[in-house]
Amino acid sequence: MKLPESQVAVLNAASATDEQTVGDLADETGLKPETVTQAAFELREEGYVAVEERTDVDYELTEEGREYVEDGLPEVRLYRAAVEAGAADSAAPMGQVIGASGLGGPAVDIALANFGRKGYGDIDSGELSADGDADAGEDPESTVLAALADGQSVDDADEATLEQLVSRNLVDRREETVRSVTLTDEGVTLLMEGVETAETVDRLTPEMLASGEWEDVEFTEYNVEADAPETRGGKTHILRQTADRVKDVLVGMGFQEMQGPHADADFWINDCLFMPQDHPARTHWDRFALDVPPIEDLPEDLVERVEDAHRKGVGRDGDGYHSPWSEDFARAIALRGHTTSLSMRYLSGHEVGELEPPQRYFSVEKVYRNDTLDPTHLLEFYQIEGWVMADDLSVRDLMGTFEEFYAQFGITDIQFKPHYNPYTEPSFELFGRHPETGELIEIGNSGMFRDEVLEPLGVDCDVMAWGLALERLLMLMYGFDDIRDVHGTMSDIELLRETEVLR
Amino acid sequence: MPVVDVHPDELRRLTGHEDKSDESFKEDLFALGLEFEGETEDGAFQLEFGPDRLDRLSVEGVARSLRYQYGDDRGVYVPKTNDPDFTFTVDESVPEERPYVTGAIIRGVDLDEDALDSLIQLQEKLHATMGRKRAKGAIGIHDLTMIQGDALREDSEGNSITYRGVDPDGDTFVPLDGDREMTPAAVLAEHQTGKQYAGLVSEYERYPAIYDELGLFSFPPVINGRRTEVSTESRELLVELTGTDQWTIDRMCNIVCYALAARGATIEEVEVEYESGTLVRPDFEVDTKRVSHERIETMLGVEFETREVADLFERSGLGAALADDDEGGAGVGTDAADGDDAEETVYEVSIPPYRVDVLHPLDLVDDVGRAYGFNELDPRYPNVGTVGGRHERSRLEDAVRNSLVGLGFEDMLNFHMTSEAEVQERMGVEAGSEVLGGGDPAEITGPYSEDYTILRTWALPSLMMVLENNTHRAYPQDLAEIGLVAERDDSVNTRVKERRHVAGVLARHDATFEDAKARLQTLCRDFAVDLETPPTEHPSFIDGRAASVVVDGEDVGVVGEVHPRVLVEHDLELPVAAFEFDLDALR
Repeated sequence: MKLPESQVAVLNAASATDEQTVGDLADETGLKPETVTQAAFELREEGYVAVEERTDVDYELTEEGREYVEDGLPEVRLYRAAVEAGAADSAAPMGQVIGASGLGGPAVDIALANFGRKGYGDIDSGELSADGDADAGEDPESTVLAALADGQSVDDADEATLEQLVSRNLVDRREETVRSVTLTDEGVTLLMEGVETAETVDRLTPEMLASGEWEDVEFTEYNVEADAPETRGGKTHILRQTADRVKDVLVGMGFQEMQGPHADADFWINDCLFMPQDHPARTHWDRFALDVPPIEDLPEDLVERVEDAHRKGVGRDGDGYHSPWSEDFARAIALRGHTTSLSMRYLSGHEVGELEPPQRYFSVEKVYRNDTLDPTHLLEFYQIEGWVMADDLSVRDLMGTFEEFYAQFGITDIQFKPHYNPYTEPSFELFGRHPETGELIEIGNSGMFRDEVLEPLGVDCDVMAWGLALERLLMLMYGFDDIRDVHGTMSDIELLRETEVLR
Repeated sequence: MPVVDVHPDELRRLTGHEDKSDESFKEDLFALGLEFEGETEDGAFQLEFGPDRLDRLSVEGVARSLRYQYGDDRGVYVPKTNDPDFTFTVDESVPEERPYVTGAIIRGVDLDEDALDSLIQLQEKLHATMGRKRAKGAIGIHDLTMIQGDALREDSEGNSITYRGVDPDGDTFVPLDGDREMTPAAVLAEHQTGKQYAGLVSEYERYPAIYDELGLFSFPPVINGRRTEVSTESRELLVELTGTDQWTIDRMCNIVCYALAARGATIEEVEVEYESGTLVRPDFEVDTKRVSHERIETMLGVEFETREVADLFERSGLGAALADDDEGGAGVGTDAADGDDAEETVYEVSIPPYRVDVLHPLDLVDDVGRAYGFNELDPRYPNVGTVGGRHERSRLEDAVRNSLVGLGFEDMLNFHMTSEAEVQERMGVEAGSEVLGGGDPAEITGPYSEDYTILRTWALPSLMMVLENNTHRAYPQDLAEIGLVAERDDSVNTRVKERRHVAGVLARHDATFEDAKARLQTLCRDFAVDLETPPTEHPSFIDGRAASVVVDGEDVGVVGEVHPRVLVEHDLELPVAAFEFDLDALR
């Protein structure tokens, strides 16, 4: 019969009559104890050996225990000092005795607690009296400690004393499982019939495959449950994964993607959107103006129509804003505060040519807002922006579109809170139920573009639009607490490496 | 967005719905677009809402809206006004930057603590919103009994106060919260409120001031005088507003007057005497706009009877009449417009003078929708067919990102805003030099943080910062990013040249030039472009171990071993090999 090398060695070393511990067998075979253990268990499976287990208890001094072997237990020292101070005859002041004992710090409390427990005397009203008959010289705890220090066995020592020492943290108790192996009758028979060592190999090699040697070898077993070393592949950034997911959904819903300048004229960012020039969001506190000359070219007729809309409104009964409007401000360059600047460029017909309805467009691009950096706010973040252009769109179409979009992310039960935006009417803040917590949370802003936006752009049908921060969607889906951990140069690589991928 | 504190007890009193529960109010308020944000210590609701319905900036306005919602009130309401007794005379000395004034006299007002608090809150909220932090419009409210008009003067035809300019170091008055006579200039320099609003007028040659017979009593838009301070004892008030736009201050005035009228006060008109003519204020004229029945139906996606629409208008505090061609309105409800042969049904809608948000008939459609209840609408997916697709550049970015990730790079996402110190100084790159990253950065005007002063000129510095912030994490750290870089370029229409760069770093104990080039090669092979790497010099890289990235014959970037000076600057204790080039090279 062929058996693996380690099993053969253990069989040969084991005896049918004498129990041998794994340690003994390891010494005899030259194998590692864990290899012996494994081989013994494998042999037991086959019935060739019996394995007995017992638990050995071992005691060892702690550092504190070792100290007391040198200096004596604190209570013994206290007792000796007390006897010296004559406290066996009449009570002596405690302070004096403690002083004489040389004890200090926590040792004092330890001494006092054990002094009473061991019947060395009494402590009363700050005075200490010693029992002259107590035999501190034969203190059993000291005896055990001394024995351990000498390396003597304490198997015979009183169990209660050992427990006491363990609880006083002077002695560590260790338990060890010791396995002993004996040959069974089947084992003896097998040995008499003769066992051979099967050749085992660690790795399958190209040579073995070529020579056919693989047919005669046995492969060493691996511990397939052991941890493998860490290996790392690259990973797409989680925010990109989220953006891609959003793009997938939108492309599936028939939306085309827009791209365009990050630094743009305020005209495209705000004026086209019918944002009055004195709107609080247009003050320098909220925007990042760039120190560059104004935009070179704007479509002149469009500028004129936009200015008209601001000043006079559009349509027979339209009113304008009672706000100043200057073309210089409109031409100034800033980082876009929303990607609606792209929507304006596309709708104006100046980006990809005149658009005939129906159209659907979207972008998932970066915007810049001067906010206070905190766990949920960044100076730069991604905005999901989308719009649908068609004849006779209604608020119901808008609602249906968004319900469909958010359902793709598991967010249902959308509620539409009437809202105000300078550029849309009607406008809605979108609220949805968090898929995990069930909480009602704000998930976007939407509306039908106003006539004051569309007419100057030359659009004569309806356009419904909405926007949402991508980071918000990410945080909802993943439950990140601090957006700064994933976006920006403060990113924690480990967090990104460990983040679950999006499915 | 404005947040207004409204106590539910006040709401119960002012709406007359004494037994409404707090919860039920919250629901009704949400339907109006007022979101419950929390409660103050004394139990007032903190309500947040869009800055359109500024007439709801006080409990009186919120209560009015609720009464319409409940159907307790209908149609347009205009408070009765008494004829003017006071004249506001605008003197020619008035600062040309702030030439407009308006106001009203309020009689018989009962100001308890709640009412006074509400009035002060309304004033503050109006300043913050329509008043553009008092720059566009500022409200002063005074105890009328402390004002001495000049009715007794021989040449006077009635009571009059004067809006005029005052020399900064001219007349003196005791400002609110002040204890001594001060000139306007001293108020700006020394008084708490004065310092806060000094910026609004400090450039003026003459400061705005309001005088009565006794002298200067108000210094708009900065502070009132102590003499005319309003208290719970005040029963008669003078309201004055000054600003840069007549319409704006007139509307602010209307909102204040409506709030006081809701507390039982009587509004008395004033005459505002400009050189060019006289206005009678407050201006409670009811505006009208026309909106077609069809537009309402199309926009809301619901079919309505005209009767229903008229009802919804009235429940919004608006008035509706059917417009008869271009003539005046016919009565709603008795009309023939429901008939088949009606050409186009158009409503002439009257709009009360406290509304500041109705610029276009569309805004009236929105009111109909709100009154109907938008959440009553049944969502439907639009029956509109379009073809979806990705932008060419975003497809390219994704393809390159996939290749990089396949090569083992961790995909990063960094900020586009950074500082010159990061992209140039710390990288050893001189501003204005020819090398990659050395371009003229697009600077942010008046940056708020020294960490964010420019758009990054190249992407490698961002990756170096990530390495710097992750020295406690396991190596190797192979990071890549595809992202925006920009530099100032006046020949571009927007004056900023925006590019996408591909950058990668290999931070590992044995990183070499070859490691970086090997990955570049693979990338170029994936995209079927030809790569050459002729030697070059770049201050961020070790001399002799830096090369230009030349793709299909065009120099598009740099690859090399990062210079130890740069590594040490970023607290790195191991070598880094890196590359960066223009994404378009892989098109």
